[in-house]
Amino acid sequence: MDFFVQIIVSGLTFSAMYALAAVGLVLVWGAFNMLNMAHGIIMTLGAYFALLWAEFFGLPLIFAAPFAMLCGGLVGAMVYFVSAHWMIKQRNFETTIIIATFGLGMAMEAGLLKLLTELFHSSPYAQPLSMGAKSFIVATVPVSYQRLIIWGAALFLILILAAFLKRTTFGRAIRAVAQDSDAARLMGVRVRNVYIAVLALASALAGVSGIMLSSVKDVHPLMGGALMLKAFIVIVLAGLGNLTGALYAALLIGMVEATVKVLIADQYGFTAILILVILALIWKPAGIFGRSTVARQ
Amino acid sequence: MTLLWKHRDFVIFAILLAVAIAFPFFGIPRFILAAVLIMYCYATVVSQWNMVFGLAGIFSLAQVAIFAFGAYSTALLGRYLEWSLWYAFPVAGVGGILLSVLIGLACLRLRGIYVALLTLAVSQMLYVLIQTDSVCSPLNQVKDPRNCIAFTGGSQGLGDFGSFGWRAVLGGRNWMTGDYYSMLGLLVVGLIVTYLITQSRMGLAFRALRDNEELARSRGISQYKYQLLVFALSAFLTSIAGGFYAAHFGAVGINLFGFPLLLFLISMLVVGGIGRFWGPLLGAALLMSADEVFKEFSDLRNIGLGVVVLLFMILLPEGLAGGIEKVFRLLQRLTGRSRTA
Repeated sequence: MDFFVQIIVSGLTFSAMYALAAVGLVLVWGAFNMLNMAHGIIMTLGAYFALLWAEFFGLPLIFAAPFAMLCGGLVGAMVYFVSAHWMIKQRNFETTIIIATFGLGMAMEAGLLKLLTELFHSSPYAQPLSMGAKSFIVATVPVSYQRLIIWGAALFLILILAAFLKRTTFGRAIRAVAQDSDAARLMGVRVRNVYIAVLALASALAGVSGIMLSSVKDVHPLMGGALMLKAFIVIVLAGLGNLTGALYAALLIGMVEATVKVLIADQYGFTAILILVILALIWKPAGIFGRSTVARQ
Repeated sequence: MTLLWKHRDFVIFAILLAVAIAFPFFGIPRFILAAVLIMYCYATVVSQWNMVFGLAGIFSLAQVAIFAFGAYSTALLGRYLEWSLWYAFPVAGVGGILLSVLIGLACLRLRGIYVALLTLAVSQMLYVLIQTDSVCSPLNQVKDPRNCIAFTGGSQGLGDFGSFGWRAVLGGRNWMTGDYYSMLGLLVVGLIVTYLITQSRMGLAFRALRDNEELARSRGISQYKYQLLVFALSAFLTSIAGGFYAAHFGAVGINLFGFPLLLFLISMLVVGGIGRFWGPLLGAALLMSADEVFKEFSDLRNIGLGVVVLLFMILLPEGLAGGIEKVFRLLQRLTGRSRTA
C-alpha cells in the first residue's frame, strides 16, 4: 500500500512536468515540423525567471510563475527570430533546425552558466516557489502540499490550453495550420504569426515545467537537459503531432518511471522508460497513438 | 593538367598524406603533435558520421555515444582482462557494431526525426548509467581496497588500463610519435572506407534513393537494409577511434558521453560540410585550430561553438566544402568550361 501511494504521488508529479513540456513540443512540431532543441534551456530559464522575481526583486510570489511564463514566451519568440525564421524555406528544414537549435540551446546554456559564475556563486538555489517539506499523510506516506500545487497547476494549464485551442479564433488558426498550412494561408491565416505564437506558448509552458522541477529539486543551470529528453521520449511514444496522445504518454511514462524508481533504484528510471519506448516503437513504429501513415517513410 | 583535375581528390589525398607523414620530423613541439593527433581521431569519427548522415541520410546523434562506448570497452578490457589494447580495439569495434545494430533495428524504420530523438536518448541513457554507477566492484577491491571504484568508474572515470605500448618500443621520448602514426593510420583507413562505400553499390543505392525514391524502391532497393549496413559499418571504425582515444590518454571519463563533445563534433561536421568528402577533415582541422588559438577563452567555448553551428545552419548549411564547390562551379561557368557531363 505504501509503495502504491508513493508511486502514484511521484508518478503524477513526473507526469505533470512531462505533460507541460511535451504539449509545447507537440504544438510546435504540429505547426511547422520544428523540433526545438533549445526547449531544455528554456525550462531552466523559467525556473531562473521565477527565482529572479521572487528572490532578487522580492516581488509577490503569486506572480512569479506568470512572470516566468511571460519571459519564457519572449525567449520562445526570440528562438523563432534567430533560427527558424531564416531557415523555414530550407529543403531539409526538419533536420537543419534540430542542429541549429541544438547549437543555440548549447550557447544559451553556456551563456547562463557563464553569467551565473560571473554574477553569483553558481551553487544550486532553492526554488522560492517551493513550499518545502510541508505535507500531509496518506497511508503513512507524506505527500507535500507542493505536489498538490504541481498537479493542480498542470491540470489548470492544460485545460486552459485545450479551451484556447478549441474555442478561440486564434486557437482554431493554430489547429488549421497544423492540419494544412497552405490551406490555412489561403484562408487568410497569418501563418508566420501562428509559428511565433506556438513557439512562445510552448516556451511559456516549458518555463512552468522548469519551475515545477526546481520546486522539488533545486534550481540548477543544467537541470533542463534531462527533462527535455524525457519530453522527447513522451512525444516519440505518443507519435509526433498528437496532442492528447502526448498527455496519455506523459501519464504512462511518469508512472513507469516512478514505479522503477520506487521499486528498483533511482538511476534506472530513465533506462526503463527508454527501453519501454524502444519496444513500443518496434511494435508500433508510428507511436502508440499515431497513425501509421504519418510517421512511416 | 586536366588529368590532375579529374583525379583531384587523389592528388589532394596524396599531398595531405605526405605532409602528415613528414609532420613529426619538422621538430614540432609536442603539444602541437598531441593536438594534431586528437584532430585525426575526431576527423575519423566525424567522417564516419558524415557517411551515416550525409550519404545514408540517417540523422544519428548516437555517433558520439558509439565513440564513447568504444573508449569504455577498450578501457574495461584492458583493465579487467589485462588484454593488450591492440586486441581490445577490434573487440570494441565489434561491440560498437552490435550496439549500433540494436539502435538501428529500433529506429531506422522510422522517420529521420525519430532517429535523432532516440539516438540522443540512448546516449543520454548510457551517460546516466555510467554516471550513477557507484557500487564498489569486487574487481577493483583487490587492486585498491581503500579507494574502491565502481566497475565503469562511475563519475570518476577509469584509468590504469594500458596504452598503445609505444613507450616500450620507441622509448619515453618518442612514444607520442607512435601514437601520432597510429591515429593517422586510423584516419587513412577511415577515409578510404568512406570513399569506397561512397563509390560502391551502396553509395549508388543511396544516390538512387535520394534522386527518385519511388523508382528506387520499385526496383527493389531497400533503404532500411542499406541504412542498417552503413550504420553498422561506421560504428566499427567509430568505436575503434574511441579505443584509440582511450589508449592515447590512458583514461576515459563520463564527459565522453556529454553534450559538449557532441556539440564540438557536430560543429566540425557542420562547418566542414555535411555530405562532402573533405568536409569532416576540413571541419576538424579548423575547429581544432580554433580551439588551440582561443584556449584562454575556454569558458566561452561552448557559446562560440553554439553560435557557429547556428550561423552555419542558417547561412551555409552545406558547409565550407559545399561553399568552395559552389565557388568553383561559378568560376567554371564564368570561364565557359562547363563540366556538367
